[in-house]
Amino acid sequence: MSLQLLVNALVNAALIAPPAMAFSLLFGILRFPNFAIGAYITVGAFAAYSLNVSLGLPLVVASGGAMIITAVVVWLTHVVVFRPMQDQSPVTLLVVSIAAAFIIENVIRLFYSADVRGFNIPLERPWKFMDARITREQVEIIIFSGLIAVGLHFLLAHTRIGRAMRAVADNPMLAAIRGVNATWITAFTTALCGLLFGLTGVFAGLDLVIEPLVGWNLTIPIFAAAILGGIGSPYGAMVGAILVGLAEEATFLIIPSTYKVGVGFAIIAVLLLVRPQGLFGTLEIKK
Amino acid sequence: MPEVLLETRELTSGYGKAVICSDVSLKVAAGEITCIIGPNGAGKSTLLKTIAGVLPPIDGQIEVAGRNVTGQSAAEVARSGMAYVPQEANVFRQMTTHENLAMGGWIDEQRTNAARDEVYEMFPDLVPLKHVRAGDLSGGQRQMVAFGMALMLSPRILLLDEPSAGLSPLMVGQMFDTVVRVNGQGVAILMVEQNAIQGLKISHRGIVMAGGQIAMEGAASDLLESKSVSELYLGSRT
Repeated sequence: MSLQLLVNALVNAALIAPPAMAFSLLFGILRFPNFAIGAYITVGAFAAYSLNVSLGLPLVVASGGAMIITAVVVWLTHVVVFRPMQDQSPVTLLVVSIAAAFIIENVIRLFYSADVRGFNIPLERPWKFMDARITREQVEIIIFSGLIAVGLHFLLAHTRIGRAMRAVADNPMLAAIRGVNATWITAFTTALCGLLFGLTGVFAGLDLVIEPLVGWNLTIPIFAAAILGGIGSPYGAMVGAILVGLAEEATFLIIPSTYKVGVGFAIIAVLLLVRPQGLFGTLEIKK
Repeated sequence: MPEVLLETRELTSGYGKAVICSDVSLKVAAGEITCIIGPNGAGKSTLLKTIAGVLPPIDGQIEVAGRNVTGQSAAEVARSGMAYVPQEANVFRQMTTHENLAMGGWIDEQRTNAARDEVYEMFPDLVPLKHVRAGDLSGGQRQMVAFGMALMLSPRILLLDEPSAGLSPLMVGQMFDTVVRVNGQGVAILMVEQNAIQGLKISHRGIVMAGGQIAMEGAASDLLESKSVSELYLGSRT
């Protein structure tokens, strides 16, 4: 396995780890697989594009703005679409989330067309290390992704609000009995995940291209990472992202890159057959 | 007459339009253990959930230490000095014992460390399990964590929903000992129990529920001796 393959795998993992952790956090609190996460990522990419290219703001500022805009979109989608339907079954909510994703993506397509775009950043030669090449943006993606993982761990393990998030995800009724305000925790988690989806949109714009399906194309690897790690477990999602990233790049050695998306599907299919609870999840036994 | 800590007046509750218990009026005095027994479907657990604020009442009134808590959320009721231990899913399985106890003191974080020390003093068996996930504990250990969590806010009254459910016969005895020990600290207890004989044996008062209503109440020792209660709810003891 070449060093370049490992570098690519690391970048790939760094790209899908934050949204996989966010997806797992959201699943833990809301109890349904939200297929709109791809659309949220697309919102982040286009918001950053508008602020950076149309308004001429530096990418750092545009990224911050895009994260906030995405958080607002995610929160509003939750309040307007998902909260009124919270008593419905997870399957119903899953279908609703697919509809929400189509609506968001097509609103973006309406305003921006299906053209491929990129950020206004100077072109630089990739850095060369031994026989591997890596761009400055890719290094930044890896560093930020690592910082997010550490930050999320600190939040969940060492802060009051993080404990409350875990409590609501673990046992919402008991959390309410112990005085945790689940409505507030849900709003906070939704907004936090929105920030992460927004940042992923920026990452995707840096490493891939900006187009209306940029987020949708990441959805399957994100789902695969979250399921591999044990759905609902943000730490598992982090490990799952690394393994999916590695698997996607490793398959380049034996199959054409066109079939990269199939790797995520294959991982999901095998896991659901062999270990449906994922690597770090626990099986719930219903009596 | 000792202070009345909990009083319900003509309390009616259920799920949606289905009324499960109706017109339940009861009193629990400071320092006493009251055991509610009755057949399955009598509305015992529904009554406890309603008192704890988990289920909104349809009608009637609930007072805790003279304060009206009718219709208040579980979180608000927890602030009134009453703690509830549900029958199932009464711990955070993904959290350690230590974290579970911290969640028990969630609404008064200033006191968490001191309260946790008190709980460990009361349940020394939990000390070596501090960093073990509650989901990995045995049924009896989990029940201890659930008790400890409920005691974190130093409640004056504890609501226990079938604390012996799912425990081995040996653990059932230990669990009832724990209930008596907690009561000995001055905590009044209102307990729903399927294990009617043992439940009544450690209780001061007993309530028999049937069809969602109170069918009989009195001193626990009297209920134990009552022929009709014995035939209907306690099984054959002869």
